Amino acid sequence: MHKVWALIRSNWLAASSYKLGFIFSFGSLILSVIPIFFITRALQTTMADVIRGQGDQYFAFLVVGLISLNVVSSTVYALPGGLQTATSTGTLEALLATPTSVTALLLGLSGYEVLFTVLRSAVMLVAAAAMGARVEWHQLGASLPIVALIVVAHLPIAIITAAMVLAFRTRGPLAQLVLMASTFLGGVYYPTTVTGIPAPIKAISAFIPLTYGLTALRAVLLEGNSITTVWRELSILSAFTVVALIASAIGFRAALRYARKVGNLAQY
Amino acid sequence: MTAIASTVAFAPSASTSTNAVVLEGLTKSFTKQRGWRAAVSRKARESVRALSDVSVDIRSGEFFGLLGENGAGKTTLFKMLATLVTPDAGTATVSGFDILKSPNRVREVLAPVIADERSLHWRLSARENMRLFASLHDLRGAEATRRIDELLSLVNLVDAADRLVSGFSSGMKQRLLVARTLLARPSVLLLDEPTRSLDPISARSFRRFLREDVALAQGCTVLLATHNAEEAFELCDRVGVLHRGNLVAVGQTSELARAVGEDRFALWIRPADQSAIDALIGRGVIRDAKAFGDAEEGWSRIECDLRGGLDGAAEAIAFLAKAGVSVGRCEPVKLSLADLLERVLARHVDA
Repeated sequence: MHKVWALIRSNWLAASSYKLGFIFSFGSLILSVIPIFFITRALQTTMADVIRGQGDQYFAFLVVGLISLNVVSSTVYALPGGLQTATSTGTLEALLATPTSVTALLLGLSGYEVLFTVLRSAVMLVAAAAMGARVEWHQLGASLPIVALIVVAHLPIAIITAAMVLAFRTRGPLAQLVLMASTFLGGVYYPTTVTGIPAPIKAISAFIPLTYGLTALRAVLLEGNSITTVWRELSILSAFTVVALIASAIGFRAALRYARKVGNLAQY
Repeated sequence: MTAIASTVAFAPSASTSTNAVVLEGLTKSFTKQRGWRAAVSRKARESVRALSDVSVDIRSGEFFGLLGENGAGKTTLFKMLATLVTPDAGTATVSGFDILKSPNRVREVLAPVIADERSLHWRLSARENMRLFASLHDLRGAEATRRIDELLSLVNLVDAADRLVSGFSSGMKQRLLVARTLLARPSVLLLDEPTRSLDPISARSFRRFLREDVALAQGCTVLLATHNAEEAFELCDRVGVLHRGNLVAVGQTSELARAVGEDRFALWIRPADQSAIDALIGRGVIRDAKAFGDAEEGWSRIECDLRGGLDGAAEAIAFLAKAGVSVGRCEPVKLSLADLLERVLARHVDA
């Protein structure tokens, strides 16, 4: 674990050496809450019935959706992105030549990006709360394992995309497809139960991990329900995570073997 | 081993426990995939042999040079030893650990000095770069701090330790790369053209550092891939010559130079009688003659291979004297690495 932290720490030091960019990344986030506030306020009456039982306030509903989407996006892209950066900067070869397990390397290369996104999400939530978003703060601790599960559930997508980068030097379409499906059918902007969407398209949302994660997160963080009330969503998400992690680990090992065979493991 | 190796009185390779690196029949081919047809059809793909049945033993504490033109297979061999590329056939062990069966143990004892400066984290200080790799090599706490200070002092970077690497000169980066590699106290070090981006003076001082502070003081076995003759002759106990993936010669640098270069002489003659030179060529006494014009006071310098070494030189001098050509000086010529390699490869092709 200390190797993962060492990599995360070095990525943090490198990122914070660009001081202006570091400050802007927080500033832009806080500013982005302002238009969301005004748009959701205008749509509150229209959306009130649709989001009933999921916080009832469209501003808080959307902020939690966008925060979760940011976390998912960061998770699925941090790993392949970290791998691509390490390849193009030439550090990957040096890292691979150390007695560090591939799992530790992958977690270390992507960990900073994910943790930073979670931190930025917290800042966005505080900014939204300051503008009137109704958040059940006493449930913050209970919502953290849900956020962690959302991250872990999307790791397999990241691992498969990283495997594509390793073997073929391209991310492939999977991450983008998952992200697009999560954005429009995972309950970010409106609940997946909304009427009017054709049944076959609506059915897709049952296969999107974010659907379950968001339902659970809103129930706990916006409704103030206990985490035990969302056991069904969390069980489905956990089952998906276990199966997908095993499959992606097998895929990644195969990609690693292939890259070592063709000799492009650390090639730009 | 190929014919050329057997013609040279090379040091015998002993498969004993004192061998740091043992390669046996190491073979690797890469698929050359160009164009869409090759992407979809296996038949359209071309295979390129990067290494072919390479076998050599490298003794503990030895400084071993790997020579060869671009594309000879040096980097592929290094990447295999660093467990970044898997061989198609053959085996390799490093300090007794098989690169395929125990890659993690190999990475504990072998460290490649990746000469590419980009492999450093430029937005971190030298000390932070060292701290990261110390952790990756399981060095922590006070022990890590002590080792980092010791190595930064060794490579003369103490004063710059807390500066961002992006502001370092090439020489400083190269020294930091070596320091980073030495963190794990490796028993085998791979150096791939370590001085290629250094000016001649920095390169010389860097070579001294490699020989005295790395190989001798740290007791490392060093494998060095280089194009630089001075570097190979100054540093290496033995060299191996790779040509198109084949290890065509292995031996001590002095033996190699003697084996393929001892018949090269320079003669100072006056007058420059071309017909006498042609006659010597015709009699097979000299070959590959090159004239260098007036050297001093009418003397011309001729560089040539003399059949039979010193006996051949005596025969040539006697013949020239009879033809009325004075020989003012006759001395052996030290070959450049390029000439040496050319000769080794020519003999390999002949064989």
